[in-house]
Amino acid sequence: MLLKFISRTFTSLQIFFRALLKFLFSTVGALNKISVFGKKYLLIFSIIFFITSCEKNVTVEVPVASEEIVVEGKIETDDVAIVLLSHTLPFFGEINTSEILTNSIIGATVIVEDDTEADTLVQLSPLYGIYIGNKIRGIQGKKYKLTVLAEGKTIHAFTSIPQSVKLDSVWWKPDGNRDSLGFAWAHLTDPDTVGNCYRWYAQRINHYTFGPEKGKMKDSIFIPAPGSVFEDKFINTKSFDLSFPRGRFQFSSKEDDSNDEEFFFKRGDTIVLKFCSIDRAHFEFWRTEETQVQNNGNPFGSPAPLSGNIEGGLGIWGGYSPFYDTIIAR
Amino acid sequence: MNVTLRFILCFFIFPGFSFSQQFTISGYVKEESTGESLFGTNVYIKENLKGTTTNQYGFYSLTVPDTSFTLVFSFIGFQLQEFPVKLNKNIRININLKSNAIEAKEVTINAEKEDRNIQSSEMGRQTLDIEKIKTLPAFLGEVDILKSIQLLPGVSSAGEGNSGFYVRGGGPDQNLILLDEANVYNASHLFGFFSVFNADAIQNVTLTKGNMPANYGGRLSSVLDIQMKEGNNKRMGMQGGIGFVSSRFTIEGPIKKDTGSFIVSARRTFIDLFFGEPFVKKGSSISGNKYFFYDLNAKVNYRLSNKDRIFLSGYFGRDVFNFKSPDSEFFVKVPWGNATATARWNHLFTDRLFLNSSLIYTNYKFEFEGGQNDFSFKLFSGITDYNLKEDFTWLPNVNHTVKFGGQYIFHVFVPSNATAKAGEVSFDIGKILRQYAHDAAVYINDEYEINEKWLVNGGLRFTLFQQVGPFERYVNDPISGEATDTLHYSQGQNVKTYTHAEPRLALRYSINHLSSLKASVSQNYQYIHLASLSSISLPTDTWIPSSDKVKPQSSIQYALGYFRNYNNNTYESSVELYYKSMQNQIEYEEGFLPENTVNSNLDNYFVAGKGWSYGAEFFLKKNKGKFNGWIGYTLAWTKRKFPDLNNGKVFFPKYDRRHDVSLVLSFDISKRWTLGATWVYATGNLNTFPERVFVLSNGDILEDYGGQRNNYRLAPYHRMDVSATLKGKPHKRYESSWNFAIFNVYNRYNPYIIYFDKTYSADKITIQAKQISLFPLIPSVTYNFKF
Repeated sequence: MLLKFISRTFTSLQIFFRALLKFLFSTVGALNKISVFGKKYLLIFSIIFFITSCEKNVTVEVPVASEEIVVEGKIETDDVAIVLLSHTLPFFGEINTSEILTNSIIGATVIVEDDTEADTLVQLSPLYGIYIGNKIRGIQGKKYKLTVLAEGKTIHAFTSIPQSVKLDSVWWKPDGNRDSLGFAWAHLTDPDTVGNCYRWYAQRINHYTFGPEKGKMKDSIFIPAPGSVFEDKFINTKSFDLSFPRGRFQFSSKEDDSNDEEFFFKRGDTIVLKFCSIDRAHFEFWRTEETQVQNNGNPFGSPAPLSGNIEGGLGIWGGYSPFYDTIIAR
Repeated sequence: MNVTLRFILCFFIFPGFSFSQQFTISGYVKEESTGESLFGTNVYIKENLKGTTTNQYGFYSLTVPDTSFTLVFSFIGFQLQEFPVKLNKNIRININLKSNAIEAKEVTINAEKEDRNIQSSEMGRQTLDIEKIKTLPAFLGEVDILKSIQLLPGVSSAGEGNSGFYVRGGGPDQNLILLDEANVYNASHLFGFFSVFNADAIQNVTLTKGNMPANYGGRLSSVLDIQMKEGNNKRMGMQGGIGFVSSRFTIEGPIKKDTGSFIVSARRTFIDLFFGEPFVKKGSSISGNKYFFYDLNAKVNYRLSNKDRIFLSGYFGRDVFNFKSPDSEFFVKVPWGNATATARWNHLFTDRLFLNSSLIYTNYKFEFEGGQNDFSFKLFSGITDYNLKEDFTWLPNVNHTVKFGGQYIFHVFVPSNATAKAGEVSFDIGKILRQYAHDAAVYINDEYEINEKWLVNGGLRFTLFQQVGPFERYVNDPISGEATDTLHYSQGQNVKTYTHAEPRLALRYSINHLSSLKASVSQNYQYIHLASLSSISLPTDTWIPSSDKVKPQSSIQYALGYFRNYNNNTYESSVELYYKSMQNQIEYEEGFLPENTVNSNLDNYFVAGKGWSYGAEFFLKKNKGKFNGWIGYTLAWTKRKFPDLNNGKVFFPKYDRRHDVSLVLSFDISKRWTLGATWVYATGNLNTFPERVFVLSNGDILEDYGGQRNNYRLAPYHRMDVSATLKGKPHKRYESSWNFAIFNVYNRYNPYIIYFDKTYSADKITIQAKQISLFPLIPSVTYNFKF
């Protein structure tokens, strides 16, 4: 009995420590690596003290808020624009995956303009609010205006595609004492301009050789790393090594996204890196997005409002200037 | 300013002093068994009840016409002493008062002067009896002064795991916490679970919630004045205790009997010992972890002559948290804590003029170091003060107590700074920025008893605050947020200067011997600010000065009170009403992220607004008898309005409490057993919850805080604690006691935080609110000894 009381007390302290550390880690956005490790080890730490004992489900009643239009759009170098339109949802309860799709806005007019022409995007499927361009392809150094007319509202947003920045070299190496798991590394020389912002993606294009997903390509698309965006505030004009853990999607049911291999690339993987230069407003959106996702449940952070560039709605309209390179992990 | 002028006029029309032959009777009052100075002893003339009280060095002085009278010394809990006096010259009487507790009999004295709460002009002032606090229930058996003062009306606790307190709607940075006159900037251990004050080393605790006398300044909401023990100057003694959390040990004794003494007191937690061998195997996943805190208090005093006495005292405390992952190179080290040192010299110029000179050093620092492989990162912040103070007390006659003096502080602020490197490459995360400031004040305060009915207490404090170079001001582009220009200030160059007059006035009108009405108004300025990113006070919180960007915070407080005692002063009761308005309150701008401050100044990211609060405080206390205690109830409203927050609309801050109740009971069953119980109830804290969410194609659910700030109130907080203290059988040279306590007797799961758990499955995402409660029912045992 007494032991239980003591363990509960420790539990409480644990929750506190965990949250505090999380807060401290989140104070340095670029230090995603530590953050990943912090979470992992603190989890082990927490289990020792039976973390769940003082937690209970509660019902929270927050006034019902009006619906807003959400824009998620991008345009990449040499590619056409793609825009998803949807609605906000009430905060609580269950969200069915099907609901996310039916919640999208169909029949909207979506126009992308550069300095010379306009491109009216085409709705990809009659059921879903996914719109694809057909004329304008992204060019480095250009600005793009997005206009959405939907449900009586007019929404505007601007973005740009900056000049791309190369990675000097890329490689994989095992982490610490591990022999087959490690991060993706790169050498970056930040150009002599202030305000460069970057986003890091990776995709494993080799195939699973065993397990339930055997024969499938490990990642079907590019996945952003945890804490995928950074800016040159700390590193302007510096030449240095950087590394990123492997990202995962929230919906992922892949085994290696929840076992020891989570966050790691494995010896034998073929990794395609997509290193994008992005503009500042675009960076701010993903920075706040990632902060919010990381801060989830943190009692010490004040609410982290999202920074978006959509006038009249929520979300992001962003230009990407990618640089690609490939690593064979060995 | 108009108000200021009126105060000055009212205050400086000193009533003429009487010119008949007057003599002074003065001296020191001490506790007999230990020689400790007794602060707040009533010294009065039995025939007309005129008198004074001893200052914190135990000194009193009464100047009266040449007559014969009976002089009375009284202090609750001590045996009263009376002397017939025939005054035809200045005389010195030093008195030792004997504790009643030794004989354990009912106090029966002429209690006319025990009605200090009625007769003084003070409002919102409370003195805590340390010995009493020790018998009340304490969390995990750790006697905690900061938790005890939160049981007083008008003082709100910020909740568990938080030693910050909120007085009449003011923030936690608006409380001046003094330990032997040295400012303690972060009074908590273990992120707020325990306070830094070791009760074994503390003699007096006085809290003033408003209308601070002019000798205090620099904060808007309250002064918590804590005095360390002087040490027994009669004989050597030791005391200590062993509890669940920490162990304590104190040694005290005379340097020279009746002339000088010392005290050294130490406290340390020992939980970390269980993380090492043999409890945990080497190399196991928790073996690299360590947390402990410790405190060291030391004080020496020596009476050089009848007119001079010196005191040296110091405090040093640290929290240390180390985390090291066993199978990778990831580590975290977090040390933080306070250090203070005070040198004081008491000098008696004449029997009517007392001077205390103090030289004070205080430092608070916080460090966070983390890293992995060849990457490391360090974050640090802190504040250091060098302080000189001259405080005069002049007692020209029995109707006046005049205090005047001055203070000068040189502040060195280190707002959040960071260094980071990967291998040989250092990241450019900005220069280490410091801010320097001069902080000076002069004051005069007079308490004047006009007649039996009226007493007026007026004071004026002039303050000057100057931020000086070296300093670099980064000018940010308002759109991109990038630093576009830097202003350089050389060493000693004026960055910004503020001067203000801070008047205060309090009146007491005695309705009769049992009841009085009091009113007060005061204006205060505060030149330092605590920038807190979260709504809980954490060691990461950063102190920053008023600057060219941040204006000083200020407040005007009006208070009105009715005080009545019953049953020969057995019961005292009061009702106080207050209204307080506050200007230039600061908060971080909406959406602020800590990394923004790289290559910039922290105060570039603040927004300013105003706040106001009003409420009523009800208090009923039973002072005497085997069964005693108090009940306090506060009904209050606190509001904030910032042009740049909450769309410019008024909002309630997180700790706006509509209702706050504290009940404290103590029952002496027998000579050996004392029972204690406390019950607290407080309206729940406010939180900001998202109004809507949206889902991105990557599956991330994002929250939109489009609406009202602090739009949700948590469930009320209430809790009952009980304790029992058993004194050991009396020995000649040895005393011991056991303290048994149960925290949260009815095991209430009070909300600490609510977070939103998002679970993903193949066909749906569920968002569930989860409440975390920190402490369930927790029993504790503490053993104390003294010899």
